[in-house]
Amino acid sequence: MSANIYKHKKLIWVFLLPAFLFMLVYLYYPFVQNILNSFQHIKYMGTAGGEWNTPWYVNYTKLLSDVKMRIALKNTVITIAATIIGQVGIALLLSLLVSNIKLGAGFFRTVYFFPIVISATALGLLFNLIFLYDKGMVNQLLQFAGYLDRESNELIDWKSKHAMFTMLTPVIWQYVGFYFVILLTGLSGIPAELYEAATIDGSTKRQMVRYITLPLLRNSIGTCVILAVTGALKVFDLPWTMFVNGMSNTWLTGTYMYSKVYSDVDYASSIAVFIVILGVVLSAAVNRIFRQNDDFEV
Amino acid sequence: MKKKMVLVLAGMMAVSTAFAVPAAADGVTLNVTTTYAGEDSNAQNYKDSVAAWEEETGNKVEDSSATSDEAFKSRIIMDFEAGSEPDVLFFFNGVDANQFVEQGKVVSIDEIREAYPDYAGNMKDDLLGASPVDGVNYSVPVNGYWEGMFVNKQVLEEADVEVPTADMTWDEFLAECEAIKGAGYTPIAASLQEIPHYWFEYAIYNFQSAETHNTVPESVDDEYGQAWVSGLNDIKALYEAGYFPENTLTATDAETFQLFTGDKAAFLIDGSWKIGGIAEAVDDIENFTVVNVPGKGDRKTTDEIGGLSMGYYITRKAWDDEEKRDAAVSFVSFMTSDEVVSKFAGVSATALKEGASPDTSEFNALQIDAIDYTASFTGISPAVQDNLSAAAREPIFADMASIVNGDVDAADAVAAVLEANAE
Repeated sequence: MSANIYKHKKLIWVFLLPAFLFMLVYLYYPFVQNILNSFQHIKYMGTAGGEWNTPWYVNYTKLLSDVKMRIALKNTVITIAATIIGQVGIALLLSLLVSNIKLGAGFFRTVYFFPIVISATALGLLFNLIFLYDKGMVNQLLQFAGYLDRESNELIDWKSKHAMFTMLTPVIWQYVGFYFVILLTGLSGIPAELYEAATIDGSTKRQMVRYITLPLLRNSIGTCVILAVTGALKVFDLPWTMFVNGMSNTWLTGTYMYSKVYSDVDYASSIAVFIVILGVVLSAAVNRIFRQNDDFEV
Repeated sequence: MKKKMVLVLAGMMAVSTAFAVPAAADGVTLNVTTTYAGEDSNAQNYKDSVAAWEEETGNKVEDSSATSDEAFKSRIIMDFEAGSEPDVLFFFNGVDANQFVEQGKVVSIDEIREAYPDYAGNMKDDLLGASPVDGVNYSVPVNGYWEGMFVNKQVLEEADVEVPTADMTWDEFLAECEAIKGAGYTPIAASLQEIPHYWFEYAIYNFQSAETHNTVPESVDDEYGQAWVSGLNDIKALYEAGYFPENTLTATDAETFQLFTGDKAAFLIDGSWKIGGIAEAVDDIENFTVVNVPGKGDRKTTDEIGGLSMGYYITRKAWDDEEKRDAAVSFVSFMTSDEVVSKFAGVSATALKEGASPDTSEFNALQIDAIDYTASFTGISPAVQDNLSAAAREPIFADMASIVNGDVDAADAVAAVLEANAE
């Protein structure tokens, strides 16, 4: 049986067909339909498009002139930059530190990975309390430290004056552990002999990181950056929980699309198409920058 | 080994199927959604009444009630679109229900009466709340609502100002707000980010009258359109004067409500359903009262917002289900009986032919004040926002922060609402 299975190629199609049908029905068909929807007038969510828009591309011209869409795009770019620097950068730093210790490495691995298992909505509610205006944890700590005047109950509205910081802090914090684990796995694949040879040659720790670790981690870092960029384009639940309806101009492409789904279905479809295009373009660009290089593969 | 595995899997499937059977063993399970949840005064009454109906009939209720807000309305619309609507729902009878009424997904009272002649027989038909789509009655109301200004008397006392009276003018109200602010308190508890609805209604009401308030403008330049613009500019003026909480553009309704019940804010405009929530949140209910919202122009301070805006619908899905039809009719009849409606009504109006007979001996101080408050009404108008769909309301309600910040001009916001409403 085990040998025959490779001779009967048709059998492969039998196994592939269910997955293909599933993808066809639940991914490709809705995707194509969504493109069509973006050119049609749809009165209510879930109802079929009745007629073509006049002109048929009106939603796309609206995208160009929509102030909120511009805000969403700008914030999404900021989010991408923040995730690359914040998530991948911090993860890299932590993984380098943890890879250099033996005692407690397992403990730190678990601690840094832990936020990923918490649902984004729960995290959003948690950080809502942390950044709460009156009696929130951060404001109380700042009053305690004397930065804010406790007598007059001076408070900072984190969701207004520092909205992007408040929104991105939990987003970054949640996924650091994910990239940390990927990079730690990459680090464990670097042969110890290279470091031994470098030590004999009199290299410092910093030189070893600069000339051995980072070049050999290039592919792992590239994978992390691609995941971070595509993840930033999709991020929705945590920002929506904390900043519902784009409060304080914190729209992201995902949250703005969702907000339009109930009031302007076909326009929301055009935003969805735009997100896909943006995702494909950015992924291709990142892929190009971090093109797989066998010379450095670990 | 394989046989054992097959047996185990078959056994598991049988067990899971047994647990998946939705109906009660000796009755019908109805999926019901209402707004009797959260801080609604009747949340507990609703639970008690459902339990009583279940005990009387042997049927079960799968309840998915939630607080009435834009998210709730969107969820209901989505459920209808996805074909997962409840069997019975307590929902708005205005424009919010247009979509599923147009699609024939709820059953008219006339159609129900062909099979059940006594259905809603205890109600005045002209008060049921006909659909704006076709003027047909689809829902059976329970109790009406009013909106008023709740007052934290302790804050007023510490700010050395009087509780507003029925003849207070708008300017006098502004003077009180200034004094309260000067004393270090927040004059008005409101989340303009989440719940700007009440202030929108009263602010534009101030430029109209009880007779004209419930009119959607045809254009931003007509008298109604101008009233809306002026009302929004008044809200902007209140914001700029610092009478709302400092974080009103980012706070949730729960946060600002806590300011009010926590003796940090003086006034809260909200609905009659909030009485229960206030009573539950505070230690001394006598510290709170409800008064008329100060008016100006043609609107007297005693002209208020109120009406019967919601009712029980039976969905077409439940009606066409032989097993559920009887149970759905029984449930709505029970929940809209004279006895249950009287219990829910408290201090609000009903559509009962015989009128409600609430037990006032158990009323708290705020409920007793509410009786005086409703007795003072010289005019009442439904909330005009109920004539607008969620999509049409969006340019004002979802963008109130931009309006009061000055990022969006009030006239442009009204024009956007009217444009969306015309689609």
